[in-house]
Amino acid sequence: MISDAHVGRTYPPTEPYVVSREKIAEFADALGDDNPAYRGDAPVAPPTFAAVLAAKAWGGLFGDPELDMKLSQTIHADQRFEWTRQLRAGDAVTAMLSIDKVRARGNTAFVTVSVALDAAGDTVCRAISTLLHTWPEEATA
Amino acid sequence: MTDFHAPEPGQELPELTLRFTRADLVRYAGASGDFNPIHWSDRAAAVLNLESVIAHGMLTMGRALRVVTNWVGDPDRVVSYGVRFTKPVPVPDTDEGVEVRVTATVKAVADGRATIAIDALLGESTKVLGSATAEVRLD
Repeated sequence: MISDAHVGRTYPPTEPYVVSREKIAEFADALGDDNPAYRGDAPVAPPTFAAVLAAKAWGGLFGDPELDMKLSQTIHADQRFEWTRQLRAGDAVTAMLSIDKVRARGNTAFVTVSVALDAAGDTVCRAISTLLHTWPEEATA
Repeated sequence: MTDFHAPEPGQELPELTLRFTRADLVRYAGASGDFNPIHWSDRAAAVLNLESVIAHGMLTMGRALRVVTNWVGDPDRVVSYGVRFTKPVPVPDTDEGVEVRVTATVKAVADGRATIAIDALLGESTKVLGSATAEVRLD
């Protein structure tokens, strides 16, 4: 189970994801947002598209056998983004996750992770998420 | 209304009413890759004691930010945005779905940036986002 001892742990960056005009338009449509900035030849992505790329790095966390965490037992408690600029079409983005904070109580834990989204060598976004994880009672008895 | 380049604390942004239907959740699942069944299966939602399928928190967060991006125009002006997911948004299997009303107020203006507090209300009084705050560049 995850504990304080895992604070500071990082996982290797994800393979680069190339943001496309088509994906930006699809995501903006899913938000029902007709802002012209998301269309045309050189669109930016809707700000919260960063969550889609950050979530790709969550695989490191859920794939770490030492932590015993499952996505299906996880609730998204809070989310924050800090941008130096918005992602845009053509960006090849890698996502690297670090465990920032762990507050474990009984069979639950609040786990704060941050994901750095890098494009062309610069961090363009940091996505910070607090996940509430619950383990089945018998696992902690 | 006041131009966004020179906002004043206390200024309210034009509000927004968002409607969520099951079709919206399916579309967001596909676009985001979040296929958690609690967003499309009442059976899976019931296991977690939810009254019905609920909207993706990130969908509510993403759509609520439009109250800010509609105001500043260029989404590249947004430099930070954070929320707590305080209550789920249950989405009934009806044509009407459910409505969430989004309001926003300028809280502070300093160093060429405005801090905006956002409220998202389901029905009369259920706050679905807590401490929702976005920061935008004004230059």
